Amino acid sequence: MLVLGKLPGLEGDRKSGQDVRTQNVMACMAIANVVKSSLGPVGLDKMLVDDIGDTTVTNDGATILNLLEVDHPAGKVLVDLAQLQDKEVGDGTTSVVILAAELLRRANELVNMKIHPTSIISGFRLAQKEAIKYVNEKLSTKVDKLGRDALINVAKTSMSSKILNINSDFFAAMAVDSVMSVKTVNSSGDVRYPVKAINVLKAHGKSSQESRRIAGYALNCTRASQAMPTVVNKAKIALLDYDLRKYKMSLGVQVVVTDPSKLQAIRDREEDIMKERIDLLIKAGANVILTSKGIDDLCLKWLVQAGAIGVRRVKKDDLRRIAKVTGGTIMLSMAGMEGEESFDPSMLGQADKVYEERVGDNELIVIEGCANQKSGSILLRGPNEYTLDEMERALHDAMCVVKRVLESNEVVPGGGAVEAALSIYLENFAHTLGSREQMAIAEFAQALLVIPKTLAVNAACDATELVAKLRADHYHSQQEKDAGKFKEKSCSGLNLRTGVIHNCLQAGVLEPTMSKTKSIAFATEAAVTILRIDDMIRIDKTEDERANM
Amino acid sequence: MSKGEQFDNKSQQDDVRKSNIMSAKAIADAVRTSLGPRGMDKMIQTADGEVIITNDGATILRQMSVSHPTAKMMVELSKSQDIEAGDGTTSVVVMAGGLLNACSGLLNRGIHPNQISDAFQLACKKSTEILQEMGTPVDFNDRESLIKCTNTSLSSKVVSQNSSLLAPLAVDAVMKIADPLDNNADLNMIRVVRKLGGTVDDTELVDGIVFTQKAAKGAGGPTRVQNAKIAVLQFQLSPPKTDIENSVVISDYQQMDRILKEERTYIADLCKKIAKTGCNVVLLQKSILRDAITDLGLHFLAKLKIMLVRDIERDEIEFICRTLQCVPIASADALRPEKLGKADLVEEIGTSDGKIVKITGVPKPCKTVSILCRGSNKLVLEENERSIHDALCVVRSLLKRKFMIPGGSAPEMEVSQRLMEYSKTLGGAESYCVRAYAEALEIIPATLAENAGLNPINIVTTLRLMHANGDKNAGINVRKGTISNMMEENVVQPLLVSSSALELATEAVRMILKIDGFVPTL
Repeated sequence: MLVLGKLPGLEGDRKSGQDVRTQNVMACMAIANVVKSSLGPVGLDKMLVDDIGDTTVTNDGATILNLLEVDHPAGKVLVDLAQLQDKEVGDGTTSVVILAAELLRRANELVNMKIHPTSIISGFRLAQKEAIKYVNEKLSTKVDKLGRDALINVAKTSMSSKILNINSDFFAAMAVDSVMSVKTVNSSGDVRYPVKAINVLKAHGKSSQESRRIAGYALNCTRASQAMPTVVNKAKIALLDYDLRKYKMSLGVQVVVTDPSKLQAIRDREEDIMKERIDLLIKAGANVILTSKGIDDLCLKWLVQAGAIGVRRVKKDDLRRIAKVTGGTIMLSMAGMEGEESFDPSMLGQADKVYEERVGDNELIVIEGCANQKSGSILLRGPNEYTLDEMERALHDAMCVVKRVLESNEVVPGGGAVEAALSIYLENFAHTLGSREQMAIAEFAQALLVIPKTLAVNAACDATELVAKLRADHYHSQQEKDAGKFKEKSCSGLNLRTGVIHNCLQAGVLEPTMSKTKSIAFATEAAVTILRIDDMIRIDKTEDERANM
Repeated sequence: MSKGEQFDNKSQQDDVRKSNIMSAKAIADAVRTSLGPRGMDKMIQTADGEVIITNDGATILRQMSVSHPTAKMMVELSKSQDIEAGDGTTSVVVMAGGLLNACSGLLNRGIHPNQISDAFQLACKKSTEILQEMGTPVDFNDRESLIKCTNTSLSSKVVSQNSSLLAPLAVDAVMKIADPLDNNADLNMIRVVRKLGGTVDDTELVDGIVFTQKAAKGAGGPTRVQNAKIAVLQFQLSPPKTDIENSVVISDYQQMDRILKEERTYIADLCKKIAKTGCNVVLLQKSILRDAITDLGLHFLAKLKIMLVRDIERDEIEFICRTLQCVPIASADALRPEKLGKADLVEEIGTSDGKIVKITGVPKPCKTVSILCRGSNKLVLEENERSIHDALCVVRSLLKRKFMIPGGSAPEMEVSQRLMEYSKTLGGAESYCVRAYAEALEIIPATLAENAGLNPINIVTTLRLMHANGDKNAGINVRKGTISNMMEENVVQPLLVSSSALELATEAVRMILKIDGFVPTL
């Protein structure tokens, strides 16, 4: 292979050929090794401390990789991969990275055996296509057959590797209920479950068991003034996106007075402008006023007099969701079409009850009995911030998984069952091919076993023996003549608590089909992207760029 | 000049030439491995830490910051191929590298550079004639053969496995905007919009316009409008500002009210004027002077049920207006119903990574088209865009010169063979140089074979034999690793790409040859 040294006239480094491939593969392996031990129900957590001392304790692959400052360009591809999986599926981020790195490692070995990378690439692509076809046709089960239990099981499987593991029954039910509650049908008739519409709040104190779902929408804000009522029944909610503070003239307007008495008049007028606006709101019937900006003391006084709850600095996203839930409209301004100011009562959102609740050290504003029940809030409790953050991430993953299952309606057994089955299937498939791709496909099949192996290693089981047993089961189930006898063995997966093989479908260890197919597709894609590179050019900063720094 | 230097003049000239040739060849070697369907990618980390993975010769060379002047000429060379034909940017550089290699051999034999240069010119002329003879005319309405050509171009890219989707897409796009009388297509009329998320398979041709920004709906404005009447506004919906030196002076509290009211009526009037024309979708140009729209404006537009897309770039306006067949409106006084554009549907669509606005059902006949380009990560997305650009260029080259020739290095081999024969009819150094030129062209099949993991010597000699036996269309079948008839394998490419590559490479080489002194003025 052609290996060139420094290119004349090029300001920077250049590496090419096998060197660069090995280097890229090494970088990816290093990254995968970081997350390897956190895979599976008995995976361990990582504690990450950044340069300002912020600590994160997590088991979530995407979060770990996000926080690592990866410098190597090939490593970045892997980090992107985890993020992509997080965005598209929401779960399985660790496994996708491990799989990609394993594929790369094996591909690199093949290259060392003098197989051209392009043959490996086409082999991987072929294997990926076959694998996904097989998963969709043979391994996945319609969720209608399994019902709500399946959803709970899917959520439990996702949580099993996370901190919520101990209370997974409790949280799985919570995740499923929350996702079900935000079911919406969009204009083109598709059923969607926007996980974003579920507001997750965190509060210190009490144990995680005390976490609960709140019917309605909860806000992590407090009343603007203690003199305001804590409960408002039959609430009419005004959603404002402007300041409720003493009016100030805009820039470029100067106030020049010659007569001191006029000064007072101008001050009064500044107050009155605001008072008129608040009067308009109150007159329209508003008794809960949420604004994304501030409310000053002056305006508070009038709100208190009117017996309304005022909340300031509400997040804009929250406002938008409340608008959706209560049927109100966010107001950017009160201007009417004729230049006057007015407030249309139809802009107000409706709710049965708005109240403030004390949770731990903080207050929450809860909006209950909204006109439009398309939202949910979850209040998480926990001993400390790290636990709460990790709980939130785990819950998010679980909700994403439930959403995927609801949208695609298909699940596959977890516990390494799919990988083992695919491995057997692809190996058999490789034998039927007489071309250069055969080796690559066989390696792909071997690479898939990294998932059950890592699972077993993390659980301190005898990985070699367990995986061998697992493969034997799947081998029998895929044999034509034995198909009837060993049919249920096609769902065999690892039981990591007891260290034996069991039927994952019956045991309720389930994952959405989409999560598996996407992670195989993404991992192959990333491995191919890195494999195709045979040259790396790193360009140095020029003199003046350096001077500018 | 001192005497010693004068005596040294000859050797200095040789040195300059040698160093020029060396550095230009190094550039050619750098991109060599990315040639052909089995070519590898380059990963480039730019000075600011950005990573680019690409297979496109022009992009690789553009990103490498080379400082040697002749190396820069090679970079320019690939750029001009990019402009002229849009594809074959790698082959042109590899070819130039091969020719330079031949030159250094000839120079060592003591042939004068001018003689080499003239002979190369002759050889180049002859080669284009040979290429022309090889060409098969193609009818521009023959969609199938256009797609075949595009497929060949895409086969070497990262997105090659999606070529079955992208090739017809590129052909359809160009066919739509092509001007049959002019024999050209203005690729500016194809707007390629990038949006992260999804996979390359989700790339689609949109008969209309796609905006990557979402509809401005802070005040609850509509996000889906049927039978849209669209106004393209170039003025701002915000209160006018005083100049810095001037200020509004008020001395009375009543004046405060008036200022507030004026601001409201001013914007309300603007919005009412817009609504009066029957407009229900506003595309608002970005403004550098002041806010293009204030909260107040958003509020009024939402009240009037007008959908708003803001932050339209100035250079997009022409494309939008041509698509919607409307006139941009530069001032509120110029608002007239006849200036509005029409479309069946304007809607905001959610994608996995943010929202986009799509305008579809634009009036016919529409001479513009948009391509919504998708990719799972930034690297793939950008490479996808570059590949689409190349594919579009290939179709355009077929429009410019309606001939296609076989791919898989068949034309290079054929030209090489015919030039060899031709050289025998010449005499003196000329014959020698033309022969060297012909041999140099074999670098393309050799590289192609090498990149595919085949044995270059075996393949090139077999190929040579087949061409000598009159098998004009024999080329390397990279997929199967054999030699076969390229026309039958549907590996075809536009004539323009090959002929322009030959011409450009020859000219660049001739220029480098003629340099005999290097005077840095710094």
